Amino acid sequence: MAEAKKGWFDIVKSSYVWKSIFRHEYQDTYRNRVLQVSSNVFLHLHPTKIRRHALRLRFTWCMGGITFLLFLILTVTGVILMFYYRPTGEYAYHDMKYLQFDVPFGMIMRNMHRWGAHAMVIAVWLHMFRVFMTGSYKPPREFNWVIGVNLLVMTLMLSFTGYLLPWDQLSIWAVTVGTNMGRATPLVGHEGPFADFLGVNARYDARALLTAGRLVGAATLLRFYVLHCIFIPIIAAVLMIIHFWRVRKDGGISGPL
Amino acid sequence: MPANKEDGTNPEGHIWRIAPTRRDFVGFLGWGAVLTSIGIGTLAWVRLMYPRVLFEPPSQFKLGKPIEYAPRSVADKWIRAYRFWLVRFDDRFVAVSATCTHLGCTPRYLNTEDKFKCPCHGSGFRGFSSGWKVIATNFEGPAPRPLERYKLTLADDGQIQVEKAIVFRLDKDESEKPGAFLPYA
Amino acid sequence: MADVTTAVAEAPAKPAAKAKSKVAERLSKLVPDKVHTWPYLVRLEMLVGTIVMALITVWSIVVDAPLEEPANPTKTPNPSKAPWYFLGLQEILVYFDPWFAGVILPTFIIVGLMVIPYIDINPKGNGYYCFKDRKFAISVFLFGFLVMWVSLVIIGTFIRGPGWYLFLPGQYWDVHKTVAITNVNFAQKFFGVQDPAWSAGIGAACIFIWLGVLPMVFWKARYKKSEALQKLGMVRYQITAQLFMIMMGTVLKVFLRLGFNVKYIMEWKGMINV
Repeated sequence: MAEAKKGWFDIVKSSYVWKSIFRHEYQDTYRNRVLQVSSNVFLHLHPTKIRRHALRLRFTWCMGGITFLLFLILTVTGVILMFYYRPTGEYAYHDMKYLQFDVPFGMIMRNMHRWGAHAMVIAVWLHMFRVFMTGSYKPPREFNWVIGVNLLVMTLMLSFTGYLLPWDQLSIWAVTVGTNMGRATPLVGHEGPFADFLGVNARYDARALLTAGRLVGAATLLRFYVLHCIFIPIIAAVLMIIHFWRVRKDGGISGPL
Repeated sequence: MPANKEDGTNPEGHIWRIAPTRRDFVGFLGWGAVLTSIGIGTLAWVRLMYPRVLFEPPSQFKLGKPIEYAPRSVADKWIRAYRFWLVRFDDRFVAVSATCTHLGCTPRYLNTEDKFKCPCHGSGFRGFSSGWKVIATNFEGPAPRPLERYKLTLADDGQIQVEKAIVFRLDKDESEKPGAFLPYA
Repeated sequence: MADVTTAVAEAPAKPAAKAKSKVAERLSKLVPDKVHTWPYLVRLEMLVGTIVMALITVWSIVVDAPLEEPANPTKTPNPSKAPWYFLGLQEILVYFDPWFAGVILPTFIIVGLMVIPYIDINPKGNGYYCFKDRKFAISVFLFGFLVMWVSLVIIGTFIRGPGWYLFLPGQYWDVHKTVAITNVNFAQKFFGVQDPAWSAGIGAACIFIWLGVLPMVFWKARYKKSEALQKLGMVRYQITAQLFMIMMGTVLKVFLRLGFNVKYIMEWKGMINV
């Protein structure tokens, strides 16, 4: 084994500035492998050692990870789209066309956002499917499954609120069909059973909470925009934090006992 | 190349080996591809932030026919609307910007004292009698350079047309460039 | 346990008896199948992430997202479809009233999903794929997921056309297609009863039998011989049975509508129409 020559990079690595940023070395030793995970703000979600079956894609499908990755992609592309999109009746459709033709790479961003959204819905279903098939909701992971179902609902709500934003015929009528189901809610929908009990009407009922009025109009657009960009993502993020934490606390990826 | 230890680690393994293997090479290609795509993505994002079409308010305005302006006058007719003076000399028009070059306030033209004076910090610029080349040059106060001039042309219908997006600076010796004044006898 | 010991490429073989220290030695004996997260899991995540990014980038460059004409509140397209992931519910709307298909059923679906870990007390099947240890759970879930949800989404996307009529794939979507159907209520269809009060009563009785009586009959018949039922207990059994019967009841009503043109099982004052 030759003596390692002290090159310029080694000098940099032993400098004060470097050592203040990188707290440990990167040689492949047992200690460094552990430190790489435990002293990294993103990676220390993982334990430093995992059971082998957690590596088997045939077992885990990696769908939970893919769902989270798609969430991050959607956040980044969504923020980029926010530079050009205005959620008003006059400008929404215009800004979609603007992104399509006048913004360099605008169409690719829009496409990544839309296909990423569809992919995330499918990925979250596949994740739920896989977790069910491996019985990974059984004790001690029952509550994490409940949080997962809530995340499923949040994903569908994110997709639904985003659907309205292009403000084309597809958007407005899909959302009309979707929100009209709300007016049939028993008690709190003005066309549902027992509507007179609480005195709800077309202006004040469960559906109007979503549509901000009687029609799917400009007010609905703004409300869905805020729901889509801030309100639901914050709830989803909090639920994800709990979900990932519970995976860790419940013993990692479930495997044969 | 030293082999793995019993626990699977390999402290002496470097990515810069004296004799890189084919696996190292493919690894470099892979990482190179990832970093390149991130780099291209970043550049693409920067390009995305400059749209090809801008919707900004218009900067070209018509100002009426030349005979509507008194000879040898500093007209403040367009100060409120477009923020410049239209100055008529014996042989030409000049559009002097009413944005002080110090910190952006709107100066006033003081006819009796033959100068432009900015109320904010007292910058002073030469008045009409200094002639078409020198007018609006800074001579007192904190202003660092003369007031700018806007491009003037004669439209097809005989009206004077100002283009505020195109600017001429005296401190760069642009007072004689075409467009910095409108010849009219 | 065969799966657990499958070697992953490059993951080290099980550590030999000689280890760094006594603690590590004991540890490696206790948990012999653990590997370091870095590099093995992290690089696998990096690989999966890169592949997903590449796929979605290529797809986004090649296929454009749709953008139809600007929103026009006075002009409804025909057909007017909800987003594809809600098409299952829109399909059910054909057979049930909005309050049921749009509110009650989705609520039961979500609540039913959440309740699964609490009613499935079978200890087997925790952490591996197996059908024969969990026949009921997997069959019911597959039915609900694939037959009720996924296939309805597929039908809603490709088979439903203008007027929400059925069109075979490739068939021309005729916007003027009409199909004349008269739907009558259950009691009228099968018992010839036309009086609304009696019809509602018979319908209510059928629902009561379906949800109340049948599960109890099954319970009484199988309780003594079934250890699973005994462990489950009445509360869990009732929750499971109600969810199961509502799901099956939905299927049954769809058949009654398609096969016999039955409008409602029970119709009461325009408020509770099932």
